[in-house]
Amino acid sequence: MAQRLKTDWILLSTVVAMVSLGLVVMFSASSLIGQVKFQSSTYFLMRQLGWAVIGLAALMYFKKRDFRTMQTPAWAFASLGVVLALLVAVYFLDQRAHRWIRFAGFSLQPSELAKPALAIFLAYFISLRARAINSRHTLLPAALAVVMLTFMVVVADLGTAIVLLLTAVIVFFVAGLEPRYFALAAAAALLFGGIAVISKPYRLGRVLAYVDPEHHLLSKVDPEGRLKKYLRKASSVRDPGYQARQSKIAVGTGGVIGVGLMQGKQKLLYLPEAHTDFIYAVVGEELGLLGSAALLAGFLVILWRGMRLFWTVPDEFGRYLALGITTVVVVQALINMSVVLDLAPTKGIPLPMISSGGSSLLSTLMSLGMLLSISEHAG
Amino acid sequence: MVDPQATKRLRWLISGAVLWAAIIAGRLVHLQIFQHAELKAVARQQQTRTEEIQAARGAISDRNGQMLAISMPVDSVHINPLRIPDLTVAADILSPVLSLDRSVLLDRMRKAVSRRTGFLWVKRKVTPAESARLRALKLDWIGFQKESRRFYPNGTLAAHVLGGVGMVRKEDTQERGNAGIEMALDEELRGTNGKLILLTDVTRQAFAIDDEVKPLPGVNLTLSLDSRIQYLAERELARAVASSRARTGSVVVMDPRTGEILALASYPAYDPNEPPAPGENPVARHNVPVSYASEPGSVFKAFTIAAALETTRLRPESILNCGNGTIQLFGRTIHDHHAYAALSMADVLAKSSNVGVIRVGLAVGEQRLHEYVSRFGFGQASGLPLPAESAGILRPTRKWGRTSIGSIAMGHEVSTTTVQLARACSAIANGGTLVKPRLVLKREKPGSAPEFTASGAGEQILQPETAITMRQMMERVVLSGTGKAATLRGYTSGGKTGSAQIFDLATKKYTHTYNASFMGFAPVTNPAIVVVVTLNGTSGGSAGFGGAVAAPVFREVASGALRILDTPKDIPIELSQAPVKEVAKADLNDLPLAEISRGVDAESPGETAVSSVTQPPVRPEEGASAPAAGPDRRIFSETAGPRVPDFQGMTMRSVLEVASARGVAVEMSGNGLVRAQDPPPGSALSPGRAVRILLSR
Repeated sequence: MAQRLKTDWILLSTVVAMVSLGLVVMFSASSLIGQVKFQSSTYFLMRQLGWAVIGLAALMYFKKRDFRTMQTPAWAFASLGVVLALLVAVYFLDQRAHRWIRFAGFSLQPSELAKPALAIFLAYFISLRARAINSRHTLLPAALAVVMLTFMVVVADLGTAIVLLLTAVIVFFVAGLEPRYFALAAAAALLFGGIAVISKPYRLGRVLAYVDPEHHLLSKVDPEGRLKKYLRKASSVRDPGYQARQSKIAVGTGGVIGVGLMQGKQKLLYLPEAHTDFIYAVVGEELGLLGSAALLAGFLVILWRGMRLFWTVPDEFGRYLALGITTVVVVQALINMSVVLDLAPTKGIPLPMISSGGSSLLSTLMSLGMLLSISEHAG
Repeated sequence: MVDPQATKRLRWLISGAVLWAAIIAGRLVHLQIFQHAELKAVARQQQTRTEEIQAARGAISDRNGQMLAISMPVDSVHINPLRIPDLTVAADILSPVLSLDRSVLLDRMRKAVSRRTGFLWVKRKVTPAESARLRALKLDWIGFQKESRRFYPNGTLAAHVLGGVGMVRKEDTQERGNAGIEMALDEELRGTNGKLILLTDVTRQAFAIDDEVKPLPGVNLTLSLDSRIQYLAERELARAVASSRARTGSVVVMDPRTGEILALASYPAYDPNEPPAPGENPVARHNVPVSYASEPGSVFKAFTIAAALETTRLRPESILNCGNGTIQLFGRTIHDHHAYAALSMADVLAKSSNVGVIRVGLAVGEQRLHEYVSRFGFGQASGLPLPAESAGILRPTRKWGRTSIGSIAMGHEVSTTTVQLARACSAIANGGTLVKPRLVLKREKPGSAPEFTASGAGEQILQPETAITMRQMMERVVLSGTGKAATLRGYTSGGKTGSAQIFDLATKKYTHTYNASFMGFAPVTNPAIVVVVTLNGTSGGSAGFGGAVAAPVFREVASGALRILDTPKDIPIELSQAPVKEVAKADLNDLPLAEISRGVDAESPGETAVSSVTQPPVRPEEGASAPAAGPDRRIFSETAGPRVPDFQGMTMRSVLEVASARGVAVEMSGNGLVRAQDPPPGSALSPGRAVRILLSR
């Protein structure tokens, strides 16, 4: 039996601090939209609070439980299987967005649960076949599983699919996958990604708004304007550059110390999705450079505490599970912040632990619970 | 245990992540420090909306505080199209209430929504009923802004002086004066608008006030006009225009001592509450006494003669050769309406002899005539605060023809406005000072002390003696000359008639239409008012002459104005000539010489309550308790003085009024009401005696 390490207090306190900060900022950002949509300024706060309690309970559960008990085919395949089944179910249950399963007043986003499920699956798979990672027999089923998961997610949520794919690529890269496979994967990803972007006008609009906001290139490539006509079909009439512009205005207004908690004006419906994907802009406006840099630092702490385990944990499953979980969380955070600061085109990726959204919070806290378990139980 | 290759790859990845985080941090610094000010400004610009708060336009009142123009608060309706759940329903609600075209409104709302404009004027200055109906709907996307509507409570009264307001320029968001005082003093009247900076959400709905700049209300003006005199002048003018079939007309009543304009009437009239309508007479909105200059005709002879009194040895009694009604002037023959062999200069004025006044003009000479005419203010705008004031025409002597001196002496080849004539006549009336016409007496800036307009010292242009002589000569015009219709009851008056044939510029000929005018003052010794009446384009021969149509207007306006101004009567009513109601048509431009027997030097100011110049013949009023009718009509006979009235129970003020009206001298003692009098009522008062009156409480 491996010795039990001490609890990683640095990580735990960082996580608790970030969840708390998230609740406060989320309330500030959501009170007006809650009032407008649900006649209650605390609507989103109460839901998030409920999810935070559930999420922290899940975190404590997974922290206490020895992560090695999950190194079984049942955990690896069952979790993946359940997520895939839910993804299929949600396709039919949510006819509009194919995103949410609703029950008893709660809504669950299966694509969020795909993140820890993928991390467990990859860790299990690599620890099983570490020596023969480049063998075709090993690779094909793994790749198939990843592709299947990604494909199912793409249908609803391209942003999450990108996160999943990136995580898989990083985990395989560290595990020593040969570059030629990456080239192959990249070609495939480019093809499918391209199809995915073009198939939905709003996605194409978002990408174009980032690459070619003035439509110079577009008018050269497509002088007859057929593409523009297609773009106009995007359900959101508002121009795609609007979010990015409003988000920059919010962050810039904050200055060094911010305008003060609850004092931000941009969340007054100028900034769409202020309480979800663009909450980092509210942090920037209300808490300024100090607050936004502190939040960035929080994710760097998670990166540090998570990656540290790669060296300290003797167990291969634990090492790759830590890598997968850390990657999922940090990659989401970095992409989200880049989008808010107009460094990347708009995608639907929430900021872990801060954005409103119960599934994301639960899945993140569950994953971080596993991460805490690795540092506690490995050795 | 750990694969060294794997840790190396992981290090690369971690470095990549840290680099990525560094880029994010750099971007934060860029946005939040370097672009902070710029982005903050953008945020403020999009998060606030500035609303203008209209300043209340200053009120205009007459000299007695009667309101002539006021601004009443009314609602203007605006909507926030971004908050309207269904535009077609909104259009269905609004269009019937505000009587707007539904499709036009719907179109405007759709456009506003597509531009994401959260503010749209639906209708400005709605009626209180419309506003109440909309307010009752309690819809949060309908907003009301207080604006003010200009209201002229007296309708057409003094419309030309006041002017009106309207959207003048294309970029106007608020009405501005478009005529009259409203236009000339628009800057002062409009005040300074305030500002309301509102914080708004993305639907442009305001939720808080960020900053407020209070509006500064406009200046309240008190005009020199007296509404009662103005009303009288307009009424009499309209009557005269109708009876003389004139095209336009004007009356100016001025206080000659201060230059204050008491009335400024223009015909045709209009209601400034109504916007100009198609088909309306465009002349109705022109201010005739200020903007229309025309040849003054015979009234101008007064100024020629005034010049002669100062520059030549001609006196009122000097006899001038009137050439039996004809004079040859450099090949041009000029006729009189009636032929005279010779007339004194006083009679030249009284009879309005053209030949005589040309002789006077020739005696004065070109240079001096021009100098005096310009001294009287002709050829220069009087400087009233009214737009489009005409300066009239007075050509320099080098542009005069050889016969111009003759024409100008009798009021042709010059053009003048009625206001200019009133100003020039005031110089004669006030003892020789050319006053500056005043229309604004007082400016009241809300919150500060009222500011009185300085009257400004006038320029002495005549010797006081000349002015007195002129007044005496002009009184004779009324007493025995062409202006008999200008006789007043209880007051002496003087004046000059004028009937200028209108020169048709198209045919270059004088037509048979006239500018009929009368220029006069009263009372003669210390004139309280100058009244100038001009009727343009009268027809019907001598019936359209100044003495026939303009002098009666003077009579009615002047007697009303003197009563309103409480001017003490200077002759007893019993003594005054009964006002001449009708003037024989043949009697206008001349009278038999025989009738003019009294000289102009018969002034006897020592007598109480007598005409300042001569004793006019007395015509007792029918049925009145007049002195015994008989061959001897002289009033101040030894035995038949005025009857002593019954003063019993009267106040001191009433006593004075009655006494002055009856021409009775009184000696009063005590305070309160009259308890005793001597001689008793009904007895005749011998000349030089006064009634002794005892008052007590």
